Amino acid sequence: MNRLWWTQVKAVIRLELRKTFFAKRGLWIYVVAALPVALFVVYALVMANQHHRTANIARQGDKPLTYQDLLAVKPGMTRQQVTDMLGKPPLNFHWTEDRPTDSGATEKIQHEEYRYSDGQNDLYVALSNGEVQNIRIEEAYNLGQDAIMFAGVFQFFFLRLAIFFGCLGIFMNLFRGEVLDKSLHFYFLSPIRRDVLMAGKFLAGLLATCTIFVTSELLQTAAFMWHFNDRALNLYIYQHHGLEHAAIYVGVTILACVGYGAFFLVAGMLFRNPIVPAAAALIWEGINPFLPSILKQFSVIYYLKSLCPVEIPVSPGTPGLFALLISNADPISPPLAIIGILTVALIALFISSVQVRRMEINYTSE
Amino acid sequence: MSDRIVFEDVSKFYGEILGVNKVNLSIPPGITSLVGPNGSGKTTLMNLMTGLVKPSRGRIEVLGIATDDPEKMFRLVGYSTQFDAFPKGLTGFQFIYSYLCIAGMPAPEAERTAWQAIERVNLVDAASRKVAAYSKGMRQRIRLAQALAHNPKVLVLDEPLNGLDPLARAEMIALFRASAAEGCYVIISSHILHEVDVISDQVILLSNGYVVAEGQIQTVRNEIQEHPTQILVRCDRPRDLAARLFQSEYMIEASIHKDGRGVLLKTRDADRFYLAMNELALDGIQIESIAPADDDVLSVYEYLIGNEEVVR
Repeated sequence: MNRLWWTQVKAVIRLELRKTFFAKRGLWIYVVAALPVALFVVYALVMANQHHRTANIARQGDKPLTYQDLLAVKPGMTRQQVTDMLGKPPLNFHWTEDRPTDSGATEKIQHEEYRYSDGQNDLYVALSNGEVQNIRIEEAYNLGQDAIMFAGVFQFFFLRLAIFFGCLGIFMNLFRGEVLDKSLHFYFLSPIRRDVLMAGKFLAGLLATCTIFVTSELLQTAAFMWHFNDRALNLYIYQHHGLEHAAIYVGVTILACVGYGAFFLVAGMLFRNPIVPAAAALIWEGINPFLPSILKQFSVIYYLKSLCPVEIPVSPGTPGLFALLISNADPISPPLAIIGILTVALIALFISSVQVRRMEINYTSE
Repeated sequence: MSDRIVFEDVSKFYGEILGVNKVNLSIPPGITSLVGPNGSGKTTLMNLMTGLVKPSRGRIEVLGIATDDPEKMFRLVGYSTQFDAFPKGLTGFQFIYSYLCIAGMPAPEAERTAWQAIERVNLVDAASRKVAAYSKGMRQRIRLAQALAHNPKVLVLDEPLNGLDPLARAEMIALFRASAAEGCYVIISSHILHEVDVISDQVILLSNGYVVAEGQIQTVRNEIQEHPTQILVRCDRPRDLAARLFQSEYMIEASIHKDGRGVLLKTRDADRFYLAMNELALDGIQIESIAPADDDVLSVYEYLIGNEEVVR
């Protein structure tokens, strides 16, 4: 790219960014990008409230407990043994059950549930007639489960819906929006090559979508970790690869903007009605797991799923079709995935550059 | 590099609708007016000339440059369209400045050049206001400023005087004339015939997508054989003059001017008429002036196209 073209690209980007960021018809994109952030903020608030209650329970206990104390309770222990070890329970519930016996009479069974806490983890002890029947420990931070939850939101909402529709809203309007506004001739009357103009508009769209969705992604990560205490945060970042995952999610977000952006740029030139290509692409991306290997490669989500750092496990008993949707049965290596997505984008950009040179200003036919 | 704007057998169809058909033109420097009723193909011809639409058939070159090379062509061409939409949110200054930046001009030079263009169309006071808030005339002027901003060799102006007040019209016409005098190609479309008549060096008459006539207006008029030439002769004895001339077989009609000091003549052979006038002058009739009365655009337009949808 020579110096003139680069100067022209920068001028187009400046003009387009102003329009993209402040367009009224693009406000919904901010809302879509903010939704997962809101979800994690709500999650963090709920978890913070839960930690607060857990800490309160610990304070109400007879003595401070450790996690080892909680683990020491075993089924078959008596009420006395439990209270001797952990003290009087800060919270307890009891009720009586009339259970029918084989002889036709009823037997009264005294049920109790004790709840203890070490300040972070909760122990639920279920007793029947003074004997421990069942125990359950709820850990304050289940980092593995949390990472899977984050991956689920990222893959099934953020990638497939938020970024998909955000790119649709921004990239399809780069040319189509100006045709509808009857202002595209402003660019077409300038001494600029049409493909340089297209490159400028694509880069402007990419900058806008990356700014919006990478910001959203970083805010999601921040909100996701908001309720972690220092120990959990260190554990997540350094031992559960939290920092690495956050960086990969940012990278996948950028690649998603590149892939979907290039696709919707060319779609905006080829189709008058955005609903048609959007619906077709949504269906194509949706049925990707069911496609033969050769066809899978002509999809953006195929490569993005292979790059995601956390695989979502399929629970036993999940219906086959749904399990296929969740799992990534045919993953490819990250370098190949990156090359694949860039190739798909380059093909789309090549078609766009051919199409933009053929474009005519004929607003009356729109 | 060619010194003409050339159309070679150019046709443009919008689906099955004819835009222009079989157009062959070679436009020289100076002011060239495209004249024709609505739908005659004036705007299509301008859009073809600037590459905004592609010809269905034929070849177009602007000073030797193909119209599908906007990077080169729009360094030479400025086009003020009739499209009344602008990029959203821009002030008048930002509109011109952005255009120049996209052209690749460095920011300080673009700023200086933008102000110069805005000054040329007398819009300095409104330059910092949003274009969306401009009146129709102001929008017309800012479009003209955009077309003029980079001092193009070719100015293509679609109905450039629409919406302008009389003073602004006079200023713009002076601007077009000055550009033409500097050797620029000024292509103007208009349906206001008296303005075209005043400013044009040559005209292109269009009707239903076809070029009906082109060239200097007198030349075009002379080629219209089926309509007799009208000539107004101012003299001291108009009745004698009319009587003498009416003896010739090439005279068709003579009528005394309403002020009694001239005679309006219709002749089939202007050359023989002018020869006869020399003889009459020798016979003692004091002739003050001899002027063609129908070699203006209005007359030519009426002869060739009719009088539909034109503003005199």
